[in-house]
Parts: sequence; C-alpha cells; structure tokens
Amino acid sequence: MSALDNKKSSYIKKNKKVSFTFDGKKYYGYKGDTIASALLRNNVRLIARSFKYHRPRGIYTCGIEEPNAIVQILNEHNEPNARATVKQIYEGMKVDSQNRWPSLNLDIGSINNLLSPMFSAGFYYKTFMGPKGFWKKIYEPIIRRTAGLGKPPKEFRSKSIHQNHNVDIVIVGAGLSGLIAARKLIDTEYDVLLLEQDSFLGGVLKNSNKVEQINNQEVNKWIKETERLIKISTNIKILKNSLVTSYNFTNHLIALEDKFAGKAIDTSKSELTLHKIRTTHTILANGHIERFISFRNNDLPGVMLASSFEKYIHRYGVIPETNPVIFTNNSTTVTLLKSLVDLGHKPVAYVDARDKNKIGKKLLTYLKKNNIPFYFNAEIEGCDGNKKVETISIRKNKNKIIKVKSSMLCVSGGINPDIHLFTQSKGLVKWDDKLITFKPDVPFQNTITIGSVSGNYNYEKTHDEINNKLSFLKPKNIEMKIKINDTNNFNIKELWETRHEKKSNWSKSFIDLHNDVTTKDLKQAVVEGFDRIEHLKRFTTNSMGTDQGKISSINSLGIVSKILKKEISEVGTTTYRPPYAPLSFSAIAGRNTYEFYDPQRKTPIHNWHINNKAIFEDVGQWKRPWYFKEHDSETMHQAVQRESKQTRQTAGILDGSTLGKIEIKGKDALEFMNLMYTNPFTKMKPMTSRYALMLGEDGMIKDDGIVCKFNDKHFIATTTSGGAPKVLADMEEYLQTEWPHLQVYVNSITEQFTTFNISGPKSRDIMSKVFTEVDFSNENFPFMTFKVFNYKGTEARIMRASFTGELGYEIYITPNHGLELWKRIFHHGNVFDLVPYGTETMHLLRAEKGYVVIGQETDGTVTPIDLNFNWMIGKKKKDFIGKRSLTRSDTAREDRKQLVGIVPLDKSEFIEEGQHVVERERLPNPIKTPVEYLGHVSSSYHSPNLNHCIAMAMIKGGNKLMGKKLFISSSYGTKNIAVEVVSPVFIDPENKRLTS
Amino acid sequence: MILINCPYCGERDQSEFSNGGEAHVARPENSDSLNDKDWGQYVFYRDNPKGIFYERWVHSHGCRKWFNAVRNTATDEILKIYKVDEKTPKIDSFTNTLKTPSGEPKVGSGNFTVKK
Amino acid sequence: MTKLLSSRDIDISQRNFQQIIIRGDGKDRFNQIINKEISIIPPSKNLEVTKDDRFMFAKNSFDQWSLIYLVERDYKEILKFISNINSNDEILASDYSYGQVYFEISGKNRNEFLNKLTHFDLRLKKFPVFSMAQTLIAKIDCSIYHLKDRYIVTCNRSFEDYFKERLKDTANI
Repeated sequence: MSALDNKKSSYIKKNKKVSFTFDGKKYYGYKGDTIASALLRNNVRLIARSFKYHRPRGIYTCGIEEPNAIVQILNEHNEPNARATVKQIYEGMKVDSQNRWPSLNLDIGSINNLLSPMFSAGFYYKTFMGPKGFWKKIYEPIIRRTAGLGKPPKEFRSKSIHQNHNVDIVIVGAGLSGLIAARKLIDTEYDVLLLEQDSFLGGVLKNSNKVEQINNQEVNKWIKETERLIKISTNIKILKNSLVTSYNFTNHLIALEDKFAGKAIDTSKSELTLHKIRTTHTILANGHIERFISFRNNDLPGVMLASSFEKYIHRYGVIPETNPVIFTNNSTTVTLLKSLVDLGHKPVAYVDARDKNKIGKKLLTYLKKNNIPFYFNAEIEGCDGNKKVETISIRKNKNKIIKVKSSMLCVSGGINPDIHLFTQSKGLVKWDDKLITFKPDVPFQNTITIGSVSGNYNYEKTHDEINNKLSFLKPKNIEMKIKINDTNNFNIKELWETRHEKKSNWSKSFIDLHNDVTTKDLKQAVVEGFDRIEHLKRFTTNSMGTDQGKISSINSLGIVSKILKKEISEVGTTTYRPPYAPLSFSAIAGRNTYEFYDPQRKTPIHNWHINNKAIFEDVGQWKRPWYFKEHDSETMHQAVQRESKQTRQTAGILDGSTLGKIEIKGKDALEFMNLMYTNPFTKMKPMTSRYALMLGEDGMIKDDGIVCKFNDKHFIATTTSGGAPKVLADMEEYLQTEWPHLQVYVNSITEQFTTFNISGPKSRDIMSKVFTEVDFSNENFPFMTFKVFNYKGTEARIMRASFTGELGYEIYITPNHGLELWKRIFHHGNVFDLVPYGTETMHLLRAEKGYVVIGQETDGTVTPIDLNFNWMIGKKKKDFIGKRSLTRSDTAREDRKQLVGIVPLDKSEFIEEGQHVVERERLPNPIKTPVEYLGHVSSSYHSPNLNHCIAMAMIKGGNKLMGKKLFISSSYGTKNIAVEVVSPVFIDPENKRLTS
Repeated sequence: MILINCPYCGERDQSEFSNGGEAHVARPENSDSLNDKDWGQYVFYRDNPKGIFYERWVHSHGCRKWFNAVRNTATDEILKIYKVDEKTPKIDSFTNTLKTPSGEPKVGSGNFTVKK
Repeated sequence: MTKLLSSRDIDISQRNFQQIIIRGDGKDRFNQIINKEISIIPPSKNLEVTKDDRFMFAKNSFDQWSLIYLVERDYKEILKFISNINSNDEILASDYSYGQVYFEISGKNRNEFLNKLTHFDLRLKKFPVFSMAQTLIAKIDCSIYHLKDRYIVTCNRSFEDYFKERLKDTANI
C-alpha cells in the first residue's frame, strides 16, 4: 500500500513544495520534510546498502539514531554520512545513496552476502595475511576502494564559527519536561540556555498524541504560548537546531548548531556554529530512544521502529503504510495503534510478546472492537521479500507460524532513557528491572535529569518530578494540568531476540544494523573468549558505527548477559564517548583555519620588508624576512650569497625586533642574574654587555642572549625570538616559587623596542652619519658596551655587539620611530652599498664565525662544556641553575658530542645539515652490522667569503679530533664525503674585525 | 576543559593555565654535597599517582601567577587551591580519597559507567 | 581614534594610548611614591580600575599595575615619571607607550560578539564595571578593561594586523 497523506502535520508547510533529487531522480516534498519523510511520501523504500554485506536497507527510524538511511549530500562540501532522517530538504538538493556500485538497485557488493561466512566477527584479524606481497599489491588497494562510507569533499571550504556561552543553567531538550523547566525559570535570577536539536520545540508532544491536552488547551497552543513567554523573558535564550554532543567536566557542554537547516548553504556565511557552554547546573531533558528486536531479516526495507512510524504520521503527515504489522513487547505502541485507527486505517496484525494480563483489558477490548487481528505471547519469527518486506512470519505459539502480507513491520523492543550525555558527564547508571533498561543514578557533576531520560515515563507525573528536583532553585509555580491519551502504567516483557528458523545464508538476525553485526557474531565472539563487554565491542564492531548503536547497544548487553548467564548490571555498558552524533571537522576548527590558524606577529617595519621583496619565514608566530630578492628572478641561494658577501665587504642590516627583551630590576637583581645564568655578573662593569647562557636544572643549554648591566640593581637581558616567552615564564617561576625572598621584578619589553642589527666594516661610518651626537670611536665605544641617549624625545639605546663577527651595533628605538630611523639608516648607508639581509644570511654569517644557534647546535642535550663555553661559566659562583648537573657522571664524560667545524676535502662538495658523521668511506653492502654513528652535522652553508662549504658538527670526543679525516654519510649513492675536522671559527679567528 | 579558580583572577577556563607538575619539591640548597643519585632525584623524578595529587598551576594567559592545587588525577576534580605562601592542606581532610584495594577511586574514573 | 567597523550593533574603533607597567608591593610607601608623582592612588583591590579624566589605573595582580594615559602627554613627561619612580629599588616601571594597540568595543551585542573570540565570562555579575582582566581573545594574550558601556581591549602591537582581521571576520561572517 502506498504512503498516504495525513492532513494534520506540525512540521510541514503544505503550501511550499520543494523538489530534490535522489540518485539522480527528481522527487517532490514540502518545506519542513526531511529527506526520509519526503522519500517515504514518494513511496521510496530502498535507501542504502549496508556496510559489510551490502544488503538492501530502508528507513528504520525518524531521528538521529538512524542506522541505515545514511546518504551523501552533493553540494560544495559533498557531505557524506548525513542522516536522511534528520537532514531537511531544500529546493534543488541533490542526494545520493552510499556504499553501492553501480546502483542502489543492482549492487555488485551484495556478493559479500554469499561470502558472508568469511566475514564473521573479527574476520579482519584472521584474513588477508598472505601470500607475501599480496597485502600491498592486492588486498590494500581493493579494500581502500571498497571500504568506508561515502565520499569526502574534494576541498575544505566549509566555514564554521565558535560561540562561547557562560550561563547558570543549561536545559538540554525542549520537549515536555524541558519546556516545563524553562517556563518555571522565566524571570528568575538565573541565566538560562535552552537547547533543542530540532527546528521546532515540543519533542514528544509533536511526535505523537500521547499528551492530549495541557491546561485544557490543545498541546500546540501550549507550546506556542510557552515559546512566546520564553522569548520575551529577560533571562532565557533558546537555541534551535542545536544538538548537544558532548558533556564534559566541569559542566562544559558542546552543542552543534546547523544554521542552514532546510536551506541551501550560503558560502559567504558560517554554516555551523559550535557552541561551547560553561554552566553551573545542567538539566538533562533529552528524552528516550526506542530500541528494536532482533529476528530473522530484521533489516529488510519496510522494518521500522514503531514510535518512528508514529512520528512520521504526526510530524510530517506521512503514513508510510496504511496497513502495517505492529510487533511489540511493551505498552508504548498503543498510541500508534490508535493513531492509525483514528485515521481510518488498521494494521494487518498486532503482535504482542506479553501475556494477556500485562496487555490489559482496555487494549484487548479496543483491538476486538476494531476488528484488528492480534496475537499475544507471540513474536515475529522473521520476514521475507525481494529487497523489501513482503511476507511476515508470526510465531503464534511454540511452533505454529502463520504468514501475513504487508509492506511494513513496526517494531518496538522497549524504550531506553538516552543516557549518553549523562554518562559522558561521568555519572553512573543503574539497571532497572521493572523498566528493563539503564537509568541515570549517581551524577558526578551538577546534573539533574527530568522526564523520560530519568526513567519517568508517566507524563502525568512529570510536573511533580520537576517541582521536586528543581526546588532548590526556587523556581516559579506554574499551572500544569496534563491529560494523556496513553496508559500511565508502562510495562514491558524482556525480549531481545526471537527464535528463528534458519532459511538460507541470506537469513540473518542483526544486532547492529550500521556495521552489519549479527547476533550469531556476538555468540561466536563469546565462544572465542571475548566475554568482557569492551573487548566484545571492538572484536565485533558492535555499536562502533556512526550511530553508536543507539537503537541496539542495550539489546546486545541483554543477549550477552544471557549467553554469559550474568545479570546485565554485571555485564555493564561500554563507555559512551563524545560526540553524541557525527561532528564535522569544520565545526571543530571554527575560524582557526588557513591564515587564522595561529596568530601572526609582525615587526613594526613589516611593510617595508614586503615592499622590498622580502621572502618570509616563520619563527614561532613571527614573520621574519628570510632573504631579500634583488630582482624577481634571483634565487634564494643567489640572494643569500649576495647578502653575506656584501655585509662582510661593506655593511648589512637585519631587523632584529623579534628577539626577546626582559627588564630586570630590584635590590637583589644581581644575585638573581647570577643564579639564572652561567656567567658571573658581579664584577661586570656598568654600561657593558655580556653574552650569557641559561641552563636547565639538568645542565643543558636552554637559551642564550646578551645581558646589559646598568648597575647591580638594573639589567636588560635579550633572549632568542622563539624562547622569549619561556625565559620570562621561567624567571617568574623561580621568583614566585623558589626565591620569593629576592626583591626583584621582571617585565617583558620585547614589543616596546624596535631593534636593528647593523654590521660590516662600514657600519661605524654609517652610524656616525645617522647619530651625529654619538662618538663611535673604538676608544669611546668599545666592543660589548652600550649607550643610552635621547633620540627625538625618546630614550634610545645602542649596543656595540654583533652576531656576524663583523664590527656591528644593535639599535633599540621605540616602535613609533622604527620605520623612519630604518629609512634614515639606508639614506646614509646607500653610498656604502648597505644591504638588508634576512635570517638565512644571519645564520650563514654566524656559522662562518663558529657562533652557535640555540635549537640548531643545541637540542636540549648539549651542555656549555660540549660547546667549549667553559669561559662563560662563573667558576667562583656558589650556585646557579644547572651548576650541579655539569658534574654529573653523564655530563662529565669525555666522549660526549662536542662542537667542531668540518670542511670537505674536495672543496666542490656540499654537506647537508643533519647528516651523520662516520669513519668509513663506503658502507658495506649489504649492511649486516650497524655502522657506528660518531655525530651529526648541525649547520652547513656555502660560504661566499671562503668559496666552499663550511659546516659545524657535534662529534663524539670532537675536541681531541682536530685535523682528523672523517666521512659524512651521503644521501645519494653509497660513497661518503671525505672531510677534515677543524676549528669551527672559519673567518677572523683573532676577532680583529669584531673589535676594530 | 575544567574550570580553575585562580586565587587572583577568579574562575577561568583551563586553557588559560599551564600545569606546573608536582608541588612542594624544593630546590636543594646544598647541591654540592649531594651525590648524583640524590641530585638526579630532584632533577628528573616526580610523582605521578592516580588519586590525590599536590601540584602547581600557573595562570599563563592571565595574571601569570603561580599557585598550588590538590587534584584527584583520576576524576580531575580540583579539591583545593591555595597560594604559594599558604599552608599545605592535609590529605585526610579530603573525603574523596583512595578507598579500593588497588588504590583506585571508586567513582567516576571514566573506566566504568554502571554503579556497582 | 580610527573607526574599524560598525555592524549589527557592534562598534569597534582603534585608539592610541600611552601606558606604563608598574611592579611594586602595593604597600603604603609604594602608594605614596606614585601619588606624589601623579596625584592618584593606585587601586588596592585586585582587578580594580580607578579612572579619572587623565588615567585608567588598574591593578592586574598582587604586584602589577597598568597605568593608561587617557589624554596624550608629552613623552618626556612620561619618561621623567618613569625615571623618578625607578630611582626606588623596590619599584620597576617599564614604558609600554608605543608597543601596544588598543581597541574600543561598544554596542548592544558586544558580549555575544566577543564571545565568538573568547571564552571569558563577560556577564555583568562576573565582570563588573571598572574592573579589568587578563585573558585570551582570538588566541592572543589581551587585557580587557570594562568601562561603563564599552570595553577597551589591548594587546601587543605585533598582533595588530591579525587581531584586526579576526575582528572584521567575526563581524562579517
């Protein structure tokens, strides 16, 4: 029988027709329809092919718990694995079924069904083992092509945002209970957020006619009035289309809002909002989910959950089948029965597993009165048909089976409180023998459950329950007279699986529809020794699908408990993990993608660099010029060689603003500095500078920098660009937690000064022209001293130091004068061919002088002694951080890796950074024993000033190897590069240029 | 993300803080007289219990001040926060202490969901 | 003041202020020294903002204050003030006048807008007027000052472009 229209429906706008395509064919629905309701309206039954066996599947439910009707939306994002039962249609929407080839109707994958004995539980642990080579060449490519559900988008273009909330109370679910709670909190002192996953409020009130009237009003009127009152309230906000997917500690919830429910995506706007909510109290009113029953071929298109069938009637006005068979083990299906009869239809059969007493006189009378064939103490043996339900076998009593014909079978195995969120919040659940399900028991956080999620199925008692549980909030009193259409006495008979006759290989009784797990698989797994529920889940993949087994996982516990002969509470449940429903990466990322992925930091003269063709590199969050292109076709190698050569010939200048600067001041500043760094600062003269090292307590170098001493109570220290935040943090840590008795304050002043590093033989000339009032002569401005002076009303500082080994200066100026000064320096420097250089040249020049770079020569395992920095250690100092560790047996070893220089014997060869130092010219072939590793190359460059490759390396016992010939392992071929171990200072070892 | 009550700034999201490891590990003043083993104990070893733990936090993206906390590492509950110069709270003042034979806390460790 | 954007009941302008960060112990002598120089007593309650026509003076933590000049002064005057109070060993004043950027955010929807970039609880009962906080906004360390009907948000100058792009993006999307 084809689907009929129910004139009354609450979700549909009858006057708005919407067209969409499914697998290329055009269909019509109404605005408000989901893909599923629209397809049912058009009598489409075959929606998908199952995961493993490619069995034909239809629409099983009417909500997010759907295990079968999972489709692909073809739009900009090619959204895979969308639930057809949740996704609303919009004009022009293109929908495709998944997991089938070449078509839904004729799917080659269904051959898996014939091979199904091979695909039993855990088959992937037992198959595809050999022969050798088959995995890479045959099995893997085939599996990759056939596995998985849906196709991913070609490009990531989806835009989503994050929205933070801070409230006092969150109510999850705007059904009957949630709306009552919200209404009671209107205009109280609490900030309340009410979250509803649907486009409409009402929940169960809209799913059926279980509640007939509220306060003598029609239910819809009450909902509308409640929504109006909430909207004009001062303290409650409603978020619709917002599904709560995670409930974390401490009372932090994540909800996903679909901003384009029922609309085509506008790519200029954000399509998803991830709500991150911090609250003091959480009220869970998120309802219940119906569960199914396992029987032979319980997966055929046409089998649907009973309350879902009811939802289609009341929400969408679709009667998928006017004469279905109803199979139940509990009292909730009465209203479905009544809804059908009230519309003038009747089921072909009403099959109840309970006995006469449980069913009750009222229902029996009703069934008789309306001439509905019914069977009690009965069950469904199975169903048959070609890609859809055609014949249904009813087991009347022990062995008598009768067959009826219908295209749909409505199944209800009971209802479960939706405890996902409650257990995510670390609450504990308890088995209820009367309801035959798990109920929330001990909350871990400020969590309250109300309504069916707390196990209260009697709507007449809901208001009392809420009054009780929310009394501590002192909410308002409201009138709530609820008239129900239902029995207020829920009863259920335990039934997980029916007894079936084995018909063929094709006959299967499923326990997990999404992942194609049969009840036989469960039994087999237990036989193989997987008797713990967590192991069982992973071995069989039961409830591991995108639906998380919402309609079936409790059933599997029931079946397993019977096999193990244990109580269900002993068997336990697996841990429910967030998210509650599939969550797109776009929502998780929010706007923190592409250029926004990480904050970018720029120096005050960044634009000048751009205008002068700088190519940038990332140093932490900073954008630093890597090199400057003199003309568009200049390569990086050419640029760096040019910059390096020019700097040593005349002068070069680098933007060093990114380096950290810390101001240290106080009565005990000197003692503090002596403790933090290896160097002795006591005898250091005021207005001088010193290259300083900071170690960890393990003796390893953590950072370096230059310390400028104003006086014993006032210092400024520089740090590496990347290390600045950590150095400041470490200083504060020691001052606050270890040495609070020291009177010292530290402030970061990294951003308060722009820094320029100018070096080269002509740098003095240029500086003298720029700062005419300063005497730059060697006598008056010696190496490693600094001066403070007035520059255009600001306080500027110049330090004579350099990282290049040339005569050089560091200039510190407030950022508002940065660009103007930089330009002025070039104005005077152009006549000397002053060249701007970037970080690559900086690295090259310092390497020519054997200067180390933290993070290049050091890696957290290098001590100052390894770098021949003994001269930087204050031997007379009683204590400093790392001092004791320098004499540990490990740090005092003679064969530690030590810093040396290496040059290739053949000057035309080039050494790569990171390569290994070995003793052998050629590696044996085949390599039977490990080749001894003597060290590694930490830095390597082609020196334009020496015209060959120079490199620095850390080699075991390197200090004793001067002049020795060793080899560098090569990436290409097997012949290693012959090198000689030399001093790492390649240029001007007497430092004549530096101190001129 | 858990909520941490900075003693200076009030309740803030965990993302503003950095964990500072075990608390009350004093830097030895007489390190010269310690042998490698004892010095190594200070440098490299820290406790890592399941259950009540005394640790440090720093409000890195806020006031940048350090403070101490007593946290149940199995449930992530912060039981007490106290400033660097305040008295250390005693372990038996906390009710949620280890009770089971293996030392595991009974409730909410995330490894089981059903009330026993 | 430069207008940055105005949309959907949010107004954001960029402003310029001079600033000093002062470290000290907040005791009587400290208060006297400051008061003597600029005739204003540093706030004593944590996160409190003292405001008059010239300054916004806030206590960031138990030993740190931020002094923001609402009216521009001759920079020499500021340097002199810094030099004077730095002559005391137990005080560290660092000039922050040219290394920060400032944004003024006002409008009915400012809380919802900012909560797209930060988790910070901006509700009046948690963040009263004339208080300040240091927190993360758009993943950047910021200070936020709550004046009567607007916020002043400040962060390091190097983040200026990124921060402005994030603000514009949040307003537009």
